[in-house]
Amino acid sequence: MNQGIDLQGSFVRLLTELGLPSGAAKALWLPLPMVVILIGATVSIFVTVWLERKISAAAQQRIGPEYVGPLGTLQAAADGIKLLFKEDITPAKADPILFTLGPAIVVIPVFLSYLIVPFGQNMVITDIGVGIFLWIALSSIAPIGLLMAGYSSNNKYSLLGGLRAAAQSISYEIPMALAVLAVVLMSNSLSTIDIVNQQSGYGILGWNVWRQPAGFLIFWIAALAECERLPFDLPEAEEELVAGYQTEYTGMKFGLFYVGSYVNLVLSALIVSILYLGGWEFPVSVSWIADLIGVSETTPWFQVIAASLGIMMTLFKAYALVFLAILLRWTVPRVRIDQLLDFGWKFLLPVSLVNLLLTAGLKLAFPVAFGG
Amino acid sequence: MLGFLKQVGDYAKESFQAAKYIGQGLSVTFDHMSRRPITVHYPYEKLIPSERFRGRIHFEFDKCIACEVCVRVCPINLPVVDWDFDKTTKKKTLKHYSIDFGVCIFCGNCVEYCPTNCLSMTEEYEMATYDRHELNYDNVALGRLPYKVTQDPMVTPLRELAYLPKGVMEPHDLPPNSRRAGKLPQEILEESAGAEPKA
Amino acid sequence: MTLAEGVQLVAFGILVLMMVGSALGVVLLENIVYSAFLLGGVFISMAGMYILLNAGFVAAAQILVYVGAVNVLILFGIMLVNKRQPFAPVSQAWIGKVATGGVCAGLFSLLTASVLNTPWAISSETPIGEQAIVEIGKHFFTDYLLPFELASVLLLMALIGAIVLARREFIPDTEPGEPETEALQLPERPRELVSSTPVGDGDR
Ligand code: SF4
Ligand code: SF4
Repeated sequence: MNQGIDLQGSFVRLLTELGLPSGAAKALWLPLPMVVILIGATVSIFVTVWLERKISAAAQQRIGPEYVGPLGTLQAAADGIKLLFKEDITPAKADPILFTLGPAIVVIPVFLSYLIVPFGQNMVITDIGVGIFLWIALSSIAPIGLLMAGYSSNNKYSLLGGLRAAAQSISYEIPMALAVLAVVLMSNSLSTIDIVNQQSGYGILGWNVWRQPAGFLIFWIAALAECERLPFDLPEAEEELVAGYQTEYTGMKFGLFYVGSYVNLVLSALIVSILYLGGWEFPVSVSWIADLIGVSETTPWFQVIAASLGIMMTLFKAYALVFLAILLRWTVPRVRIDQLLDFGWKFLLPVSLVNLLLTAGLKLAFPVAFGG
Repeated sequence: MLGFLKQVGDYAKESFQAAKYIGQGLSVTFDHMSRRPITVHYPYEKLIPSERFRGRIHFEFDKCIACEVCVRVCPINLPVVDWDFDKTTKKKTLKHYSIDFGVCIFCGNCVEYCPTNCLSMTEEYEMATYDRHELNYDNVALGRLPYKVTQDPMVTPLRELAYLPKGVMEPHDLPPNSRRAGKLPQEILEESAGAEPKA
Repeated sequence: MTLAEGVQLVAFGILVLMMVGSALGVVLLENIVYSAFLLGGVFISMAGMYILLNAGFVAAAQILVYVGAVNVLILFGIMLVNKRQPFAPVSQAWIGKVATGGVCAGLFSLLTASVLNTPWAISSETPIGEQAIVEIGKHFFTDYLLPFELASVLLLMALIGAIVLARREFIPDTEPGEPETEALQLPERPRELVSSTPVGDGDR
C-alpha cells in the first residue's frame, strides 16, 4: 500500500525551510485542515440544497430555482441571507436558554463528526483509533438537542416532534451501529482509513457492498432515519406536527437546524461511501492504472493527480447517494410512527444481528475474503 | 418448527416484494426527471383562459331592471341590488349594485338567470388585494372589462391543454395558427346546419 | 511548557469547571428538566476527562452510553410524565434537608479523606493509546469475563422485562362485569346499506 502524499510533512518542511521553528510551523498547520473541512462542509450545504431543489423540481416536472444566479445556484445563499436578516423571535413563555442552546447542540456534533471523514490516504483531520465509533457516539448527542428544542418551545407540536425525533434516533442508532460493527469486524479496525484501505486493491470488486449487501441497505435506511429524510421525516411531518421541533424557530436558529440537517445528510452519504463504497478508491485499482500508463505509484505528479481524483471520487459517491436520497424522498410515502418503530426494532435490528453473526461466521470460514 | 420456518419465509418474501415495489417506484420517479417541465412562468407567461372560464363577473348598469333574480338564484344571496321605486314612472330605478368577490363562489347562477343578460363572466382571475373589503366590487368596478392576455405585450400567452393540437402536451414553442384537436364550435354548427335539410 | 501541555492544562481547567458547575446545577436547581440537561453536561465533561487521559475509546463509549442513551431516556421519562402538581409545603421539611445535607457532607469528607490518604502513584508504563480497544477486548474475555457476562444477563433481563411490559395488550376502560356505558357507544344509529334500497324507477 502506498502512503499517498504527506501534506502535513511537506507544509511543515516548507515553513521550517523558510526559517520558522518547527513548533510554530506545526501550530500553523493545525487549524488549516479544520478550516478547510469547515468551509467544505458549509459549501456542501449550498450544493446539496441546490441539488435537492433542482432534483425535486425535475422529479415533479417543475423547473426549480432559476433566477438567482446561473441555473439558480445561488438560491441557497439567498435563503441563507434571508434567514440571517430575519428577526430572531423567542416565543413568549418559552425557555430562552434552552431555546437557544437546542439548535447549537444539534449542529455541533454533526460538524465535529467531520473529524474522521477521510478524503485520501492522509487527507483526514485526525486518524484516531476510535474512528467510526466517534461518529456513532457523536450522532447520539443530537437527540438531546432535539428534545431541548422541543421542550423549550412551549408548544405541543414541538414537544411531540422532539420526542419523536429522539425516539427515532435511539431506535435507528442500534441497527446502524451493528451494521458498522460488521464492517469493522472485516477490517479489524475502527479507523476510517483502515476501513477504506481494507477495501482497496481490487477496484470496484473489493468494495464492501459486495461483502455486506445487507449491511449496506440497513446502514443506508438507518442513516436516512437519523437524518430525518423523507420516508422517515416523522419529527417534522407537516400534516401532523406543523414542523415538529422546528415549529417555533425563525431566523438563524432555524437556519442552524436547516444547516444541520443538510450537513448531516452529506455526512451520512460520505460515511456510507467510506464504509461500503471504498471511499476515495477508484472503480479500478490505482496500482493497475499506474502499471497501465507505466509510471511508478510513488511518482509525485501521479500521486497528486490520484489524490485529487480520490477527493473527487469520495464526493462523487457521496453525492450519488444524496441523489438517491432525494429520489427516495419523492418516491416513498412517509411511514407512520408505529410502522417506523416496528421497522426499526422488529426488522432492522434482527436482520442486522443476523448480518453481524453471518459476517463473523464467514470471517472464520473464509479469512481471505472477509479480513481474517 | 416448520410453521415457524414458513412464517420466516413468508416474511422474507414480503420484504423482497416491498423492496421490489420501492424499486419500481424509484424507476418511475427517475423516469419523470427526463420529462420536460410543464411550468408556466406565471407573471411572464399566462395560460389563455378557456371559452367558458368563470372569472370575475361583468355587470352592465344600464341593462339591469333591478328584478333581483340574481339575488334569489345566488346560493348565498350575494348580489346587493339597491333600488328606489319611482312613483311617477311606476318603475324601479337602480341606484347601486355590488358583488363581493371575497364571498362569491363563481358558480355562475346569477349570469345564467339574469333576464336581461346584464351579467356575464369574464376571464379575469387576478383579483388579489391587500384588504378583503377591496374585493367588494361596486357597479363601476363591475363594469370594467379585463385586459386580454393575448393582447398584453408583457405576457406570452400559452394555450391550455385542451386547446393544443392532437398529441402535443406542451404549449411552449407551439407554431402559431396550429389547430386544436377536435372540431371548433362553429364547424359543428355548420355541419348541423348542412345536415338539417336532409333530415 | 510546550503547546500541548498548555492546551491540556487549559482544557483540564475548563472541563473541571464545567463538570463541577453542572453537577452542582443538577443537585441545586429546582427545575427537573434543567437538572436532566445539566446531567448531560456532566457526562460530556467526564468524556472530555477521559480524552485528556488518553482513553479515546472510553470517552466515546461514555458519550454513546451515558449521553446518547441514559440521559436521553431520563429526559424522555421526564417529558412523558410531565404532570404538573401543585407543590404542597411539607411541614418540617427542613429535617429532611438537614439530614440530606449531613449525609452528603459525610460522604464528601469520607471521599476527601480517602483521596488524601491514598498514595497516588503515577504509573510509569507508557499509555497504550490506540491499542486500548484491543486490550479492553482481551480483558473482557479473560479476567473480566464474569462481570461482563453478568452485566449482559442483567441487560437481557431488562430487555425481556421491557418486552413483557410493552406486549401487554391494551387495558379496557371498563371492568369485565360492568355493562358498557352509553357514553362509550357510537352516537349514530346503524344505517341501512345503500345497495339495499330499491334502485331504478325513482329517478326517472
Ligand atoms: S337578475 Fe339581472 S336584471 Fe335582475 S337585478 Fe340581477 S342583474 Fe339586474
Ligand atoms: S356567481 Fe354564484 S355566488 Fe357569485 S354572485 Fe353569482 S350566483 Fe352568487
